[in-house]
Amino acid sequence: MIYIVLFFLVFSVLLYVLLAGADFGAGVLELFSSKENQAVTKKTLYRVMGPVWEANHIWIIISIVILWVAFPLFYNVLVVSLHIPITLMLLGITLRGVAFVFRHYDAFIDRSQIVYDWMFRISSLVTPIFIGMIFGALLSGKIIIGNNQNTFFELYISGWFNLFSILIGIFFTSLCTFLAAILLIGESDATTRKVYVKKARIATVSVVLLGFISLSYGYFTNNTFIGIFVESKWALAIVILSGILLFPLWWSIKNQRRIYSRFFAGVQVICILAAAFIPIFPELIFTKTSSINLLENIAPNSTIRVLGITLIIGGTIILPGLFHLLKSFKMIKILER
Amino acid sequence: MDNLDAARLQMAFTLIFHIVFACVGMVMPFFMITSHYKWIKTRKKVYLTLTKSWQKGVAIFFVTGAVSGTALSFELGLLWPEFMKHAGPIIGMPFSLEGAAFFVEAIALGFYLYGWNKIPEKFHWITGVIVGVSGVASGILVVAANGWMNAPSGFDYVDGVFSNIDPVKAMLNKAWFTQALHMTLAAFASTGFAVAGIHAYQILKGRQMDVHQAAFKIAITFGAIAALLQPLSGDLSAKDIAKRQPAKLAAMEAHYETEKGAPLYIGGIVDNETQEVKYKIAIPKALSFLAFGNFDAEVKGLNDFPKDERPNVAIVHYAFQIMVSLGGAMATAALIFFFTYFKKQSWWQKNWFWWLFVLIAPAGFMALEAGWIVTEVGRQPWIIHGIMRTKDAVTPVPGIVVSFYMYVVLYLTLTIAVAWLMNRQIKALNQSQLIA
Repeated sequence: MIYIVLFFLVFSVLLYVLLAGADFGAGVLELFSSKENQAVTKKTLYRVMGPVWEANHIWIIISIVILWVAFPLFYNVLVVSLHIPITLMLLGITLRGVAFVFRHYDAFIDRSQIVYDWMFRISSLVTPIFIGMIFGALLSGKIIIGNNQNTFFELYISGWFNLFSILIGIFFTSLCTFLAAILLIGESDATTRKVYVKKARIATVSVVLLGFISLSYGYFTNNTFIGIFVESKWALAIVILSGILLFPLWWSIKNQRRIYSRFFAGVQVICILAAAFIPIFPELIFTKTSSINLLENIAPNSTIRVLGITLIIGGTIILPGLFHLLKSFKMIKILER
Repeated sequence: MDNLDAARLQMAFTLIFHIVFACVGMVMPFFMITSHYKWIKTRKKVYLTLTKSWQKGVAIFFVTGAVSGTALSFELGLLWPEFMKHAGPIIGMPFSLEGAAFFVEAIALGFYLYGWNKIPEKFHWITGVIVGVSGVASGILVVAANGWMNAPSGFDYVDGVFSNIDPVKAMLNKAWFTQALHMTLAAFASTGFAVAGIHAYQILKGRQMDVHQAAFKIAITFGAIAALLQPLSGDLSAKDIAKRQPAKLAAMEAHYETEKGAPLYIGGIVDNETQEVKYKIAIPKALSFLAFGNFDAEVKGLNDFPKDERPNVAIVHYAFQIMVSLGGAMATAALIFFFTYFKKQSWWQKNWFWWLFVLIAPAGFMALEAGWIVTEVGRQPWIIHGIMRTKDAVTPVPGIVVSFYMYVVLYLTLTIAVAWLMNRQIKALNQSQLIA
């Protein structure tokens, strides 16, 4: 049963990264666009994301509930050591969510749109940086689980406010932007297409570059995680695979294959996460002195059993509904053309 | 301010904020689909206009409720990590079901908001029904978790260790039914009165009478029925608390000495030093009757509990008085509404009638917040009644006061923003062209 729970955890984290990631990335794209393109992006974003974005963001709640129910000690380390970046991430999620609705549901369109727009764009940039920094902190080997002997800075800041975590934060944000650019290419017309293709190219280059920089920085500072990563055959195989899969991605963008390009972009992100986490699983947090195993200290069997059943039932209700939602609005768009 | 106080204040403040949005997001879909149903049946344009106007309200409130709910799902752990470490595996079941219900709601809302003229009309309407039903379901499920904190069950607790965990039994705890019933009715009553009051004000101003009268009727019907049922549900809750949490009941009633045939105090100023309640109205034997259904039953007083197991009497007593009196006022207003509706429609021409519903509009939410203060402050010093103290659950991270102020600024801004947006929605509605 624990593997069913684990499956749903991985599944919801993946979907959050893919769906909400593309959503954050779209805001970042809007931020780094010329004025006319900002207006176009805003419109497209509303059309594409409007019906589904709320559902996209619920994956984080599902992930967090699974974590606290099934892996309470693991969750405990997160909420205590990473209290500050999590709070800042929540601030970003809140501002971004309300800005999205405000700008699309306000009864009048006037100068207040400027406020909503900037709030939306800036929080779209800041939130994924903090999410990435949280991932980075887990792998940084800087978290200190200590006691009264340690200072505030050591216990609650140094774990996430370090160069490695910040690099991962920026890397994650560029990954989101990459996803969004590919998504929006499929939604654009002939004139704006070029803009998004160019942005997708920039995003891809920055993902590769930032990945390389983070990797080398980790390597030269003797980061435990990077040490395992570099020596892992799994990681090597997946990185090679994702390199090869870049070719069909570019082919499908060039030939305007909307579904394929999205699929291959998603695969890229899954590859990156898989390359990072498969070699170290189940040890998912590297602290300064040791590592924390996800599968140790799990909740009692009765809890895992009930959670597993709940997830299966919930999944069978939610997934077809979600699929139908995504599909029907895509189909409508095709009919409209 | 020490860390515990800051954490409690932050939790209270974020919940006070979230609960309003959650309730509106949970109840307003029912108004919306009622109006939508009337549009399908009668094809009167007012109902279409009203449905579309309300759905924007639903969207704004749903998202604000959703983001503040996301924040809360983290806050439970951020502020009370010790609590979550032990409680998480025990009460996880209602939370995971709530997550599922909430997800269904978001999917259905996606269909509903974007489905106009795109999906078959009946299916479209049904997605609206699903939004409402799954919203109420998530509310009820979340209350199960709170009920467990009041009536912990589904585990053995020996020497500080939780064992033999049974999540199903924990979910079906003894407090769940009465609390969920009381909360669901409260959500309908407070949202009904608040929405009705807003439309009553527009009627007073003589704007778009057709739409606002239709809106008023739908909202107040839901609100009035709930307000009339609420005293019955309150009675169930009181009897339940008398049995399970006598210290909470004693604090609600500012009842210090154990006695048989205990009097009921109405109002009054609590002096915790002298253990006296000044300027109260005392009804002999009424407390014994209300709590146990027997005029001579013994009601335990606060002095029978160790000093460190008593909640703050003044806060709980005042909050309880506020809740009951506002609830009573709403039930009276509900009776007046039904009376006019069936017997005296002519009163609808009178200004005082509309002023009544304008003035009572905030009463529901004030009563609802007061009620939550009663149940939460009344449970103190426990976070899990009789098992874990709140001070033992609080986070070791210092400086929570900073994040408390951050949330105060954030949520006050959001409250102002949402109120301003609603005002603009109404303005737009008043400017819209209607063909009746």
